[in-house]
Amino acid sequence: MDNIKPQDVSKPSEQMIKLDNLMSLPAPYDQPGMEPDIKTAGDAWSKNYCASLDGIIGNDMLFRPKTGPEEKQIISKFLNGLDKLFYEESNGGYLQPLLLSFEYCEKCNTCSEACHVFKGSGEKEIYRPVFRSEVFRMLYKKYKKGGSLWRRFLGGDIEINVEAVMRLGELAYRCNLCRRCAQVCPLGLDNGLLAREIRKLFSQEMNMAPKLLHEKGSVLQLKTGSSTGIARAAFLDMMEFMEEDIADRTGKHYKIPIDKKGADILLIHNAGEFFSWPDGPAAFAIIFGEAGLDWTLSSDIAGYDCVNYGLFYDDLQARKLALHQLKAARELGVRRIIIGECGHAHRASAVTSDRLVAGGDNIPRESCFPLLWDLVKNNILKLNPARNNFPVTLHDPCNITRMMGIIQPQRQIIKAVCPWFKEMTPNGVKNYCCGGGSGFAVMNSLNLQEWMCKVSCRMKFKQVLEAFQNTVENKSMIKYVCAPCSNCKGTFRNMLDYYQATSRFNIRYGGLAELIVNAMVEFNRPYLEFLNEDIT
Amino acid sequence: MLLLFFLYLSLFAFLTFSINKFFWFARMPLHGRWELYPVPREPAERARYGGSYYEEPEWWKKPRKISRIGEIKKVLKEMFFIRRLFINQRRHWWFSYSLHAGIYWLILWAVFLLAGAVTELSGQVLITGEDGNFWAGLVYSGTLISGGAGVLLLTVGSTGLFLRRMFNRVLNKYSAPQDYFNLLFILAVAVSGLVVWNGDPGFDYGREILKAMLTFSPVKAGTALTVHILLLGALLIYIPQTKMSHYVCKFFAFHRVLWDNEPNLKNSKIERKIKRTLSNKPPVVSWAAPHAKISEQLKELSGEDQEE
Ligand code: SF4
Ligand code: SF4
Repeated sequence: MDNIKPQDVSKPSEQMIKLDNLMSLPAPYDQPGMEPDIKTAGDAWSKNYCASLDGIIGNDMLFRPKTGPEEKQIISKFLNGLDKLFYEESNGGYLQPLLLSFEYCEKCNTCSEACHVFKGSGEKEIYRPVFRSEVFRMLYKKYKKGGSLWRRFLGGDIEINVEAVMRLGELAYRCNLCRRCAQVCPLGLDNGLLAREIRKLFSQEMNMAPKLLHEKGSVLQLKTGSSTGIARAAFLDMMEFMEEDIADRTGKHYKIPIDKKGADILLIHNAGEFFSWPDGPAAFAIIFGEAGLDWTLSSDIAGYDCVNYGLFYDDLQARKLALHQLKAARELGVRRIIIGECGHAHRASAVTSDRLVAGGDNIPRESCFPLLWDLVKNNILKLNPARNNFPVTLHDPCNITRMMGIIQPQRQIIKAVCPWFKEMTPNGVKNYCCGGGSGFAVMNSLNLQEWMCKVSCRMKFKQVLEAFQNTVENKSMIKYVCAPCSNCKGTFRNMLDYYQATSRFNIRYGGLAELIVNAMVEFNRPYLEFLNEDIT
Repeated sequence: MLLLFFLYLSLFAFLTFSINKFFWFARMPLHGRWELYPVPREPAERARYGGSYYEEPEWWKKPRKISRIGEIKKVLKEMFFIRRLFINQRRHWWFSYSLHAGIYWLILWAVFLLAGAVTELSGQVLITGEDGNFWAGLVYSGTLISGGAGVLLLTVGSTGLFLRRMFNRVLNKYSAPQDYFNLLFILAVAVSGLVVWNGDPGFDYGREILKAMLTFSPVKAGTALTVHILLLGALLIYIPQTKMSHYVCKFFAFHRVLWDNEPNLKNSKIERKIKRTLSNKPPVVSWAAPHAKISEQLKELSGEDQEE
């Protein structure tokens, strides 16, 4: 198994690796039977999809061709797309970073140690950051560099066949695009960028992007307004219900303004929160209401859902969604957009789309954390940290920390409201991805979720166990992982469930705004529902 | 005379190809932001932990603070110490650093040779400095130390990297024949240099070559020196064609990609650039997926303001 080389992606085999001998976990997960075994794809799935990499199917639109002509068509589309990645006319917006990472790798292997997927898997060769990049490079060189001896000299000694194309398509979905590897590369190269470029080729040229990111993600969002499928009318109902619910729980009425023209702030949440973690947006409504901020939500397309899955796989979709978001803000005439607790939306809105428009269209976008810290720091809210009387650790979403440089505000808040705060190691800008980054958290068709919990989340789960090391086995003690990002919350939900960490060891997860509201002195009842459960 | 022309040609080719590569990258279209923190151009108190201006509420209203000193410090550490490799892969660093340090010493050696050649052309004799001439002594011993250190470090570094690539299971797997060839090429230049140095411990041959180059006179060279000159010249022509030209790549990878967090603020330089890019012709090569055919919709969404 150790002898796998990039060239092997073209060679037929049932499965290139087996998912065994993974990185070991600390106590109490060092005992046998503490985690389920992974179920890889059976025959039926293998016939239809690409299960020949590791038995996992990440891209459920990457259908295995059935006939010779279909195979040829896939290969030819792939090669067309490969060309387009390297044209200024079709990929000008990423050409320079792509070429730098593509051309200059010294194969020094420094990046492997930084990758949580590679380490978590027990160092499986196919997850080495440079493995995927090298397959990509070799295929391009083989395709482009003519004469066989010269090509071999340059490193294009690989066969281009349908197995190689399919496996590369799958490999692009074994990387969280967390870019931790790029932080250590002596040449500043970025294997995460290359993985995203491969995803882009498969989406923009071959129309093969995972259904939950594309068809039921960005396409659905552009059609209905939200990747969850919540249409405007349903959104308005939900907000009405949320107002009532807050009043029931706190005994106080907080208005949730919608489509208020000329407001100072347009607050945009990840709409997944309305379904799965409504306490988050409700906490924002309470905090903003208490602080007397002039704010509004929008009911426009991409105005009430800051999700932008295009960031993970497709420039064109990313662009459309970013422009819709700005349009929503422009039409309301707000002064600034504040992005709620959603990591990838932070980056998509503030950073990635920063060069899409100029002039008056370019409405400023900000993170919610500096604003929240400002309120906490200036004692705008009356808080009693003793109310968060349980160990808390903080997960740093990659998009907010490593890719935006927002490190301190969220920790200052936690330090101010949680007396038992304990950092993970490493943290901040050097954090590990939760394991669900780049869309994995929502890609729950077929068996990617199992792989995610078992392999890509493994390092994060280890960090959580280590952060709570003295209290893990004390079941009566709540332990809280603060994950101020909807995608990360989704990952923690699945991860803690997979390892039964909540039922066995009372490890909970949630956002940051909830911790602030839970510390507010004016409410008699804890805001965090699980505290009420435990008390009664 | 042929050797002399070859030397001019190889130097010229090295500079032209390298500069050409630099401008090739520089002329590429403005790319989307792809920064990665820590960004050393943030003020020191933030750069220390990897923070950015986004940590401030209403950051877009605050004056933009940039620390050029922080950036330069980081660059120098990376250039002269290969810091990232030192921290993250010490074993590889020993050889890589040896090779790169060898190159830096040899660049210094070339400067001493040039100084020596000019000094000799002006009628002074370069010897150990025992006659009390400080300059002559400095140039002579400087040449000796930098040349000796350079060629030895280069030999150790290229040999070590070659062997590591051969015998390290992972490196071996990912290395193309060209990766070995590049190291062997450098090693061949270093070894031929050692051979020449062995017969001429004071590096007089180097000064003679530079004098010939400065006065357009033929280079006098025996077999060993001719081989050395041919190999070195060929290497200079070859380097910019390959990924060994990462001295160009690193500039762009760090300054223009990972550390470029320049926000699109009103009336900024970057805003003007963006306006220019946005008013350029729409792409002529389009992607084939159905959702890629959207130019009209995108134009409408972008608003009219951009054209102003
Ligand atoms: S650290 Fe950089 S140069 Fe080294 S193998 Fe990884 S990507 Fe390539
Ligand atoms: S971007 Fe993250 S997940 Fe992907 S290869 Fe690099 S470290 Fe691994």
